[in-house]
Amino acid sequence: MRILNFTFLLLLLAAISYGQGEPQKKVKPKRTDNYIRMRGVRLGMDITRPFQDLWTKGNRYGSEFSADLEMWPNWFSVFESGYEVMKIKTNYIDFTGQGSYSHIGFDYNFLQAENKNDKDVLFFGLRYGFALAHQKVTQYWVDSYWGPVTGQFGNQNYFAHWGEFLVGIKGEIFHNFYMGWTVRGKVKFNHKNLWMPPVYFIPGYGKAEKGFTMDFTYSIYYNIPWDFRKKKGLKETSLEKDKLPSDLNPAKKK
Amino acid sequence: MPPQAFLQATFLNSATKATVTHKVTAWGAGHEYLLLKDSVLQRILLPLSANDTTIFLISFDTKIDTISFIHQTIQKFASMESGFYFEYKLQSIDYTHNQIDSILITDSLVTKKWNENIKLYLSPFAVGGN
Repeated sequence: MRILNFTFLLLLLAAISYGQGEPQKKVKPKRTDNYIRMRGVRLGMDITRPFQDLWTKGNRYGSEFSADLEMWPNWFSVFESGYEVMKIKTNYIDFTGQGSYSHIGFDYNFLQAENKNDKDVLFFGLRYGFALAHQKVTQYWVDSYWGPVTGQFGNQNYFAHWGEFLVGIKGEIFHNFYMGWTVRGKVKFNHKNLWMPPVYFIPGYGKAEKGFTMDFTYSIYYNIPWDFRKKKGLKETSLEKDKLPSDLNPAKKK
Repeated sequence: MPPQAFLQATFLNSATKATVTHKVTAWGAGHEYLLLKDSVLQRILLPLSANDTTIFLISFDTKIDTISFIHQTIQKFASMESGFYFEYKLQSIDYTHNQIDSILITDSLVTKKWNENIKLYLSPFAVGGN
């Protein structure tokens, strides 16, 4: 558990130092004309969230939406937010845990563009995740020689936070429409301790008792074709056009 | 299935302090079902109730004793599949002296890991005792 925490911190520090180191050296990117560019915001929806009960214990379902934005060439800031529910009903307990969660972080793209219209990305990402949730036991039953004992626990609120590292792809299937998956490792930082019952489920993370969880997402995206950074974008576009080979550069073809 | 905590009592001869075997019938006070019927045992497992006091009637051959366990009940969480169970902390024991000579608490914590909690010293004249 400590190794995982340490690994995550190292990755985070490496990423921060890389991001900070670049402007200090003032080294211009080598492949200015090969960057995969994305104008505007890309909105997404994870289509696996409603069907999580197919591969997790209990009736777990939810929804998740995302937004990502190119900040610098190959660097995308990402915000993901969702709501999840976990229900378990056995002969001994009727439990519900639910709440909202968010991830904030970035993706770094490794792919180069072979032509100007290439939009597919293969990326590594880091996230900070947190959840605000509550759980309740609608009823429990304890059988014994003396007869069944029943009881309940009302709503109990709790907070949890964790870190995620991930790899994934996003491919453009139609103009401005994308699909993609991520595989994620999640390292829990902390969560509020409840006396009874203990926190069982953390929305967006999984079982609270585990210090590390794995997850898989599959999302569809739409890139809103509105470039709110149009002035800056136009300037960059004109510069990039000058650097494109003539067979790819419509301006030079004319 | 959630775990269950049982109070374990060992039978001893009050004169020799050696463990003894007895034919035992046991039931909870006010309970219609017998816990044990004519079982020949050296030790007995007793389920305590979720209340603060649990009373058992134990018949050693022909003599019946009443034992009242005053205890603290502690709720425990087993898992989200099997739910909750109870553990106990013995505070005191009251009993009649028909066959029981004395009772010694050896471990006041009654948990899901069954171990000896009390020694029941029985008067040596019990028929069927070893």
